[in-house]
Amino acid sequence: MNTADAVVIGGGVIGTSIAYRLAEYRKVVLIEQGEIGAQTSGSCDKAIFLQSKKPGFPIKLAKASREIYENLEEELGMSIEFKTNGGMIVMESEAHMEAMKKFVKERRKAGMDVRLLDRQEVHAWQPSLSSHIIGASWCSQDAEVNPLLLSQAFARAAKRRGVEMRTHTEVIDILCEHQKVVGVQTSHGHIATGTVVNAAGPFASKIAEMAGVGLTIMPRRGAILITEKMNPMIHGNILCSQYIAAKHAASDTYDMPSYGIGLSLGQTASGNLLIGGSREFKGFDKSVGPEVLSAIAKHASRIAPVLHNVKVIRSMVGFRPFTGDGLPIIDQAKEVEGFIIAAGHEGDGIALAPITGHLVAGLLENQEQYQDLLKPLRLDRLQAV
Amino acid sequence: MNFILKRVVKLMGTDTVICRCEEVMRSEVVRELEHGAVTSKALKLKTRVGMGVCQGRICRPLLEQVISFYTGGTRLPSPDLKSHHPVRPLSVIELAETGKDL
Repeated sequence: MNTADAVVIGGGVIGTSIAYRLAEYRKVVLIEQGEIGAQTSGSCDKAIFLQSKKPGFPIKLAKASREIYENLEEELGMSIEFKTNGGMIVMESEAHMEAMKKFVKERRKAGMDVRLLDRQEVHAWQPSLSSHIIGASWCSQDAEVNPLLLSQAFARAAKRRGVEMRTHTEVIDILCEHQKVVGVQTSHGHIATGTVVNAAGPFASKIAEMAGVGLTIMPRRGAILITEKMNPMIHGNILCSQYIAAKHAASDTYDMPSYGIGLSLGQTASGNLLIGGSREFKGFDKSVGPEVLSAIAKHASRIAPVLHNVKVIRSMVGFRPFTGDGLPIIDQAKEVEGFIIAAGHEGDGIALAPITGHLVAGLLENQEQYQDLLKPLRLDRLQAV
Repeated sequence: MNFILKRVVKLMGTDTVICRCEEVMRSEVVRELEHGAVTSKALKLKTRVGMGVCQGRICRPLLEQVISFYTGGTRLPSPDLKSHHPVRPLSVIELAETGKDL
């Protein structure tokens, strides 16, 4: 019979980060229904944005994760194309100026290196942007990473610590006795374990249901265009002020732009441009229509006219796990002992993957230093509303 | 077609280029196969094979033959590489101006 001290369900950036940290203390098996980093973590942009987070706890959490990134390549023993090129949020209209001034002020107060750039400064740094951009907020702490390499790096490092990776394996049932986890039934056999970590991202609700745990995480569909390789033309990551509005709008409300369009623009180390993106609630339907892709292209080419003649080689679509308040859930279920939830990072999974591994290890091993970061991530914060 | 490709795989050297867009050599593909990758999706994520301008239109049949050659034809019932919009590369402005036809 197979046994493990902990079974991690989900092999994206979150699951692999957790498996790697937990393996320091336990015998861990990771179960992934497909390939490592092939779903949400393989169809997202590459930004580690700090300034886009809300002041208060979300910024505190993102900063803790960002600090881990500083030495992560060294720790994991391979390149993840981590670059500290900063990031900017551009404004197209004077109407956004007041809100942007407040935005910058709040973040400076939170101890971040953020400042307002005027038109000339924006163009000096990003000559590719349209001359109608009136200004931008700039944060030197925003960074970039290759999400594909990040998943692979965590997975490899986890393997070296003895984690058994079972890809192409589906979870069929979570076995419980007397409100306690006792095992996981998979498409390739049974694993006896007292601890299950649900890191299934947008599929986390389905996994929770198997354990009889109520969990509402909705798939929020996002599409991104990928272009041919170009010489360096974009420095760091660029968002637009509309992106921030779409990100923080709780649902498809009246202030949501159509298809939740907001610019997210960056260039990978290999030269491809990633042009995002949209935010829609469409269940698990992956077929994004041409109107959405066209709207992304239209919005991006208005802000960066240099893109006009760049060829789009494909689009990619991912499901971001949406909790409702913009924060993930990292907690033990009340109903079932040994059932841990670590999901719901929505569009912040790349930024928050490093700290999530530490937090789950901190939760399971009762490490005092992480308790203040874990408290606001409890499941009952959402149920109380 | 498959018969010819099978012969081609046998004739290849380790430094034969599988994916021209991303310059992925057969040796890199084989190394990942030896490390446990069994699908073209896994190989793509690990080596960037098929991630270039042609999006696998040229290299996919060859890649699949290499996988088949090394895994003895045992293919997992998992989904392999899919095609994505747009069907052919088109410029950002063309895409922006259509809204309909891709």
